[in-house]
Amino acid sequence: MYNKVKVVPCSGIGKVYGLMAREAVLKTVIELCPEKSETVCLAYIVTGDKEVKEKIEGCDCITVDGCPKMCASKNVSIVGGIVREEIKVLDTVKEHKGKKFGSPTQLDADGEKVIGEIATKIAKKINEIN
Amino acid sequence: MKTELKVGVISCSGEECLGGTISRLATRKVLEELKMIGTVTLCLPLYLAGGEEERNFAKVFPTISVDGCDKLCAKRSTEKYSGKINGSIDVSKIIGNENALDTKIVRNKDLKEEHFQMVDKVASEIVKMISRISPDSYSGKSFRGCSCGNE
Repeated sequence: MYNKVKVVPCSGIGKVYGLMAREAVLKTVIELCPEKSETVCLAYIVTGDKEVKEKIEGCDCITVDGCPKMCASKNVSIVGGIVREEIKVLDTVKEHKGKKFGSPTQLDADGEKVIGEIATKIAKKINEIN
Repeated sequence: MKTELKVGVISCSGEECLGGTISRLATRKVLEELKMIGTVTLCLPLYLAGGEEERNFAKVFPTISVDGCDKLCAKRSTEKYSGKINGSIDVSKIIGNENALDTKIVRNKDLKEEHFQMVDKVASEIVKMISRISPDSYSGKSFRGCSCGNE
């Protein structure tokens, strides 16, 4: 059976970088690579339910994290996902020093621009995997 | 010494459907705009990715979970890893199951007026639930979460 790449963001709620991770992943799975990728709720993964383990275990996954705690990557690994790429929002943000990206609730224009760049990186990796 | 009551609000922020987006935005609205009371939050996945301090979140703060669908991931995970919660909101019960499970409109940029009205409704329910929490349930302990999730 053909398995879509699972792309999982942290969606951290306290800082804009969590929102950037979330929006970049949604842009990828909804707009850029809907045929080859899908997301899975990280909160569902945290429950460790049998159904979500079956969905993730042994599958190619890409995680996108907004802070060094790497919640998405760690939780996907815990349920048996194969993390093929750990994308860190801060790596891309560093290339845009001095810019404001918005708030944890809403992205500004520069925030939208950066999530476009992150989404392109995710899509590139998806196309390498599939 | 007078101690300020603080309440923890934990959102599922589910990425697969609109209910998760509404849960996240409603939680943010309570934190940022309504400010009727001191509210704090934590990224749910920190229960496993963080340390003991994060797992003590619901023991430190009276906590309300906000879930986008009836899987109730935030409620179940908080109670499994962190402690008993004081209240639970199922967004799908407020905005309807069909809306909550919408997988087409999930991104912030796609939201329309009707969706922001849903956010307002859910935020209002969170505030009502907070107002029912007894000040006696606040432990008064301090808490430091991750660099991304706590406020």
